[in-house]
Amino acid sequence: MTLAGPSRGQLRASGRDGHAASVSAGRRLLPASLVALIAAVGVLVVAATYTAGRLGYASSPWADSAYWFGQALIVAPVAARLLSRRQLGMGEAATIVVVLTVAEYLVKVCYSPTGFTFGDELMHWLSTTDILQTGKLFRPNDLLPISPLYPGLEEVTAALVSISGLSIFAAGLIVVGLAHLVYVLTLFLVFQLISDSHRIAGVAVLFYASNPLFQSFDSMFVYQTLALAFLGLTVLAAKHLASQKRTSDRGGWLTIAVLAAAATVVTHNVTSYFLVAVLEIITLGSLVARSRSSAAWASLLALAASAAFTSWIVFVAPATLSYVQPAVTGALQGFRDVLVGGHSSSPAMSVAVGPLGDQALSGVAVLSISMLLPVGWWQVWRRYRRQPWVMAMAIGSVSWYVVIAIRLFVANGSELAGRAGTFVYIPAGFIAALGVIRLTDNSLRWPVIRADVRRRAPLVVAVAVAGAVLFVFDGLANGWPPYWERLPGPHQVAGAERSVGPLEIALAQWAAEQLGPGNTFATDDGDFAVVGSYGDQNPIANDAYLYTSPAFTPSEVQQAAQQAIRYIAVDRRLSEALPASGSYFPGNDPGQYTRPLPLADLTKFNHVRDVARIYDSGDIVVYYLGQVDYAG
Amino acid sequence: MRGSQVDIAVSAAVAALACGAAAAGAPVAVTMVLGIALFAMPGYLLAQLLLGPRTAGLERALVAAGLAFIVPIAGGLALYTAGVPLRRSSWLAVLGGVSLAGDVALFLRRRAGRAAPFRWPWGKWQLPRWHAAAFGAAIVIAACGVGLARVGAAIQPQPRFTQLWLSTRGTSAGTVKIGVTNDEGHTVGYRLVLLSEGHKEAAWDVTLANAHTWQRTVPFNGKRSLTANLYRLPDLTTPYRYVDTNGDKAPGL
Repeated sequence: MTLAGPSRGQLRASGRDGHAASVSAGRRLLPASLVALIAAVGVLVVAATYTAGRLGYASSPWADSAYWFGQALIVAPVAARLLSRRQLGMGEAATIVVVLTVAEYLVKVCYSPTGFTFGDELMHWLSTTDILQTGKLFRPNDLLPISPLYPGLEEVTAALVSISGLSIFAAGLIVVGLAHLVYVLTLFLVFQLISDSHRIAGVAVLFYASNPLFQSFDSMFVYQTLALAFLGLTVLAAKHLASQKRTSDRGGWLTIAVLAAAATVVTHNVTSYFLVAVLEIITLGSLVARSRSSAAWASLLALAASAAFTSWIVFVAPATLSYVQPAVTGALQGFRDVLVGGHSSSPAMSVAVGPLGDQALSGVAVLSISMLLPVGWWQVWRRYRRQPWVMAMAIGSVSWYVVIAIRLFVANGSELAGRAGTFVYIPAGFIAALGVIRLTDNSLRWPVIRADVRRRAPLVVAVAVAGAVLFVFDGLANGWPPYWERLPGPHQVAGAERSVGPLEIALAQWAAEQLGPGNTFATDDGDFAVVGSYGDQNPIANDAYLYTSPAFTPSEVQQAAQQAIRYIAVDRRLSEALPASGSYFPGNDPGQYTRPLPLADLTKFNHVRDVARIYDSGDIVVYYLGQVDYAG
Repeated sequence: MRGSQVDIAVSAAVAALACGAAAAGAPVAVTMVLGIALFAMPGYLLAQLLLGPRTAGLERALVAAGLAFIVPIAGGLALYTAGVPLRRSSWLAVLGGVSLAGDVALFLRRRAGRAAPFRWPWGKWQLPRWHAAAFGAAIVIAACGVGLARVGAAIQPQPRFTQLWLSTRGTSAGTVKIGVTNDEGHTVGYRLVLLSEGHKEAAWDVTLANAHTWQRTVPFNGKRSLTANLYRLPDLTTPYRYVDTNGDKAPGL
């Protein structure tokens, strides 16, 4: 036996035959149960550091260290079990994948345990609330206008809220938690089916978990989380369609594939594009591997998914085009600039800025995976070149380098590259897993190891485990929440989750009750999502000019009129601290702040005739512009 | 064969009980359990109908979960297209209806021998006691972690504040509403002084318990500006909060 996985006999016993797998897994569950126990302790430790952060230790080095210790308790045993030389059953591998996914999801829950606080989650909370209050779909959402046009997540959550009596928050946690688990397990199953090794499948999922969005966007109350579950299900069904020999079995899987593809389209636009791309890549891989059946089924499903999302855009969600166009045009322009002039029109090297340690971690991880992929390709060529889906993974993993190029050279490339990570890590994780298992196997054959394999092989495994932990830590460090809000804590000026507190929620609830819905509001970054969701107002971007000038000049009055601004929310705390994110305001914030905003710039509206000061909670004041004579 | 239809009987019972509990206005603890069960049922039944007997348990569970999500999506769209509001009764009808239809279809297929009878998924799967204990302990510890995080969020020091506001929403013409909400965490005494063009018009002494609101509608004729100064007793020198029309037009909508 090698580190790569069990022998063919063991595979037969534990892979294809579910019953035999269960029995063998039952005999070997100790490691998985211990892994679960240690991971649970890790969740407890992280929860304790979050509590410490809330009690005033958010910037404490020991709290930060304790957070990473808790994460190590979650990740390291999982990596150790998947990469160790001990026999690993199918049930055990699946259990370990469940432990990793659930533990990281609970860490995310512990970050905001009493309500949604992340901006995107609040946007979908608003769409769900609209469905529950009006009983109708496709109600406008000023915060995220595209969201009501893709109502899958909101429909599912509204249904569960309606029939169970749970709150939107509780029902949302159940829906996205389950959807996230379904997605990760479908990935695991697909990896297992195509590699015929549950160890490779488990390690591939471990690599996938190093995706910076794994613990955030992929498991938040956002439409992508549910759509990913449908994407996974479609791909799993496509795999079965290609390998089923009995027509009667195909009927069921075809129905599941079509339903899941349609549900992807209804739930999230971007995921539906990637679903088509995934199916096309599978078609390509199948053609390269000369598997007509696989190519036919994948291309048929790609065609069906394309027809579904085209129809949806044409008949239901035409606004999608204007929503997607800026990002696509920007990326294409960036590429064109790179090809023509050698660099993007915007500053190149738009990598995320963070502490040096996080950047170094990111660099090492990117470099390591970039080097592992060729090793994985070599493995594909040696062992899997007749297997269409593995070929597809190899082809798809080239996107890893494309994304790196986007990140480095295209304007706003970090954002695009980050969002693509969810999909790029699927083939890249699988091929990297092939690479790392090959390297560890090769290491075991080195004379220096073979001379005392019982004592020295664990060292090889330890190095592999350390590398895997490093990859996952990179994803956590450079994902969400950002380093300046890694631990929850006191209010942060113009921040993210830490800007959502009782003061902001009180403002939002007052606006909803006393002003009615849909008023155009100017706010800073911190209040933006809360006012738009809990307040049901229409917060607008590009409003920095209202806060950064010493006087409310006629030209600013005109600009406010053009934006139809009725209310301005002013948070005096903007004069007390620099913004953690670098910008105070949504949209075209001038940035480059060296000191907090002058208080006089924020309070200037107190003295403007016909600008009413209608709300005062101490730190937050609301002004009404409706009386200003816009004609000048 | 009686045992082979247990799942059908259970799902039919769940659908009936969930609808009954909703109609009877049962407590949330009851509707929560029945609602979640009803939510899962259509996915389970459709998975039983669509998948062959050789499909492994994990795959079957994943497909069931995925289909459980798909049913309300498709059902919601169908209801919306038909002009039926998406209320509790319509969701119950969709999920209960699909469950019962699935029950009938599965029953008929099993009778015709075209679907496998029900078997407990963990049949011969035996988990040694101490492994089960370890998993149980893991669940308890993780739940404690979530509980600790909730406690941490509850005891987190938060700013205490008072809201003072003006609004014309829901008032008759020529009036404006003034409100005070106490979020200081304890009972607070205030004095609210109303000024018109800088001249005192009225004053109120208000004692508010935490999380309580006081509001009063006052005349606002639109000819003179209005200012409301809120003092937090005993300090009557510096306004604690103030609002101001800054002109002679009514604020608000």
